[in-house]
Amino acid sequence: MLFNTPRFFAFLAIVLILFYSAPRSWRKYILLAASYFFYMSFIPKFILLLISLTAIDYTAARWIARTEAPHSRRIALVVSLAANLGLLGFFKYYNFFAANLAHLFHEPRGAFALSIILPLGISFHTFQSMSYVIDVYRKEQEPITNPIDYALFIAFFPQLVAGPIVRAREFFGDLYHWQRPSSDDVLRGLLLLFLGLAKKMVMADQFAQIANAYFRDVIKEPGTVAAWSGVIAFGIQIYFDFSGYTDMAIGMAKLLGFHFPINFRRPYLASSITDFWHRWHISLSRWLRDYLYIPLGGNRRGRFRTYCNLMLTMLLGGLWHGASWNFVVWGGYHGALLSFERMFRGKESEQPTRWTVLYPIKAVSTFGLVMIGWVFFRATTFHDSWYVLHQMFFVPEGRLLIPLWQIELAAMTLLLALFEEKKDWFEKVTLGPAWAYGAVCAILLLAVELIGFTETAVPFVYFQF
Amino acid sequence: MHEPAVRRVWTRILETILFFAAFEGALFHSGLYSSIVEPVSTTGFMELQLRNEIRRPKANRNQVLAVGDSRMPLLPRVVNEAGGDYTFATMALGGTSPRTWYYALRAVDPHANNYAAIVIPSADYNEPDYFDDPSEREADLHYLIGRLGLHDLGEFPWTYHEKKAQGTIFLGMILKGTIYKRDFVEFLDHPIDRIAKAQYYGHDSAGWYYVYGGSDKNLTGLQIDWKQRTIQAPDGITPSERNQIQAMLFPPKRPGKGWETAYLRYWYGRIVDYYRGSGTKLIFIRVPRAPLPPPDEPAKLDSAVRQIASQPNVVVLNESLFNALERPELFWDAWHMNRAGMEQFSRDLATAVGRVLGTPGPKS
Repeated sequence: MLFNTPRFFAFLAIVLILFYSAPRSWRKYILLAASYFFYMSFIPKFILLLISLTAIDYTAARWIARTEAPHSRRIALVVSLAANLGLLGFFKYYNFFAANLAHLFHEPRGAFALSIILPLGISFHTFQSMSYVIDVYRKEQEPITNPIDYALFIAFFPQLVAGPIVRAREFFGDLYHWQRPSSDDVLRGLLLLFLGLAKKMVMADQFAQIANAYFRDVIKEPGTVAAWSGVIAFGIQIYFDFSGYTDMAIGMAKLLGFHFPINFRRPYLASSITDFWHRWHISLSRWLRDYLYIPLGGNRRGRFRTYCNLMLTMLLGGLWHGASWNFVVWGGYHGALLSFERMFRGKESEQPTRWTVLYPIKAVSTFGLVMIGWVFFRATTFHDSWYVLHQMFFVPEGRLLIPLWQIELAAMTLLLALFEEKKDWFEKVTLGPAWAYGAVCAILLLAVELIGFTETAVPFVYFQF
Repeated sequence: MHEPAVRRVWTRILETILFFAAFEGALFHSGLYSSIVEPVSTTGFMELQLRNEIRRPKANRNQVLAVGDSRMPLLPRVVNEAGGDYTFATMALGGTSPRTWYYALRAVDPHANNYAAIVIPSADYNEPDYFDDPSEREADLHYLIGRLGLHDLGEFPWTYHEKKAQGTIFLGMILKGTIYKRDFVEFLDHPIDRIAKAQYYGHDSAGWYYVYGGSDKNLTGLQIDWKQRTIQAPDGITPSERNQIQAMLFPPKRPGKGWETAYLRYWYGRIVDYYRGSGTKLIFIRVPRAPLPPPDEPAKLDSAVRQIASQPNVVVLNESLFNALERPELFWDAWHMNRAGMEQFSRDLATAVGRVLGTPGPKS
């Protein structure tokens, strides 16, 4: 049941009606039932895995909180982390390691492979679950006593399969002090829902046609122009796909009275790679910072260790996206860029975007560097990645793959992004007169109707992670 | 003073709906977009035909209009140049069927008083089934999208029988943008060129259609063994053309579920009802079927066309009227007549229609 299908909208409408017509004490049960129903609409049997992990982490956190003995606390933490990382490792990385092992022993590629289907959203809910147990271990979070509450935190359907990765204190703050959403929040939620749908169907799915065609057979379209347009099409696809999903998730949560953290902040306007990572998949960056980079020592142990920590964090962040050397290289590439920025610009690289005369040059350079990274992210094989990079820089000419109307559409979204960055149009529309709100929502819906790719419901890219 | 929260939300939802309806209505329900739709498309061809026919000067009511699909071989120019009491025109368009003809007639003749006669073709008075139920053809919506209004919601979708099709059609008639979607995306790619092309076709296409004379190819030498279901193709026919002729003449076994008759009964009935009491004659003909006459089959007496023959203002012409034209030298493929065939057919049709209508009265 993908977010971009009429079936999902019918489901959402039913959940909203049941949620608001039920007595308050029933509401979390309704949300949990709806969330499990939503999860089971993909591959029902994996609900057992979700419930098992929920039970393990719930119990581990309770155990950690109940005892003061460091040894026991550590055992509980290790059990929880082992369960999460073990299942994540098995489902997501087993075949990757099996293929490398086979390569090492000169066996056929599939010699040690198993037929494994990746449970939906496992990368997201395991990270969310681990962050809770670690927070309880660090005594930064009180353990949750009600298992239903905890199960809802893990399974809450708007963010179950592709984030944002929500912190326990954020979620339980909303759950335990639930308040009927204000009219502003309902309007923000609806607008986000429409905006996300338009981002997904109008932008992501349309540009996906170009990116998929290019990366399906990269040799077919030689030349710099073709390579850059294929890669930029993918860059546009993945941003609008993932941020569209996130907008819808945040919007739905708002309609239900929950407040999710922002996950994207116009990343292609970033003026440096550091700035890019402050704007792209923010909830994952935050998770990696708090549970990996800082525990590794962050920037407190000298310059060399800082670069190593950045590199390791980004390599693991890359691997989180998928079991392939391409993702590792992508992570390593970003780790290297972050390290270089820190090396040459020091803490200045941490500064937010400044709108100086040099900004356009910085933004375009950052955009270009990010696009180069996407080559590894999207190409099917390592060989294809190098081929595309070679085309991007060393083979002149080629054909522009993006039609004019899509270039105009992308230019319009750039203007909207700049306008949002400087003038916060989203908030102005939400709080502004009814006609402005109605006109904007109507234009978004009309764009979905007219330009949205509706021949099939295209799954979200991040569902596969 | 702040608006109450609930009212504030509902006002904005209502504004959204109103704006959406206004945009959708202004673009797609007003005829604005159908005037710039790609002319070389299902909707575009239909719109051109309708606009050309609406614009065609009609000095009097002595007008004979033919509807039909690609098998209707009328060349109005041939008849009109020969002179006669009646002016002929055609709105025949490949791929259309009686459901589209009904709505097309309603569009060009809103008061049912423009024509002395409407010529309606049938490929076979026995109305054998084709491979799927004609009432389920979603393509009809694409032909007619520019002409269907919200007032048609009560009938058009429900002439489809499958629930899924009914839903798709119903929604497509309200949200016309979903039907124009592919065309709109192409429009965005080259909007200026598209507008220029639409204007060019709109201005000139009536003349092109009128002077069109048909194909010069023919099938002289073709032999058909109807019993053995084989053909002997003449020289100069490529293997793929040969296979196509074979496939058109000898399709796989048809379902025999009565779909065709049920469909025609409904839509012929709608056309007859539309012109009831109008003075317009509805003349049904069987068009030349194949390059050689197929073997006779027993007449199916309950076919739609035979049953409708008893209705006032309906004339069903003898089915063998054009049998003499079923000759290989008058066809360019298994179903379609060539230039010589179309010219001969047009003259014969004009004679037959003239006989039915007689000499027009002085006030016509």
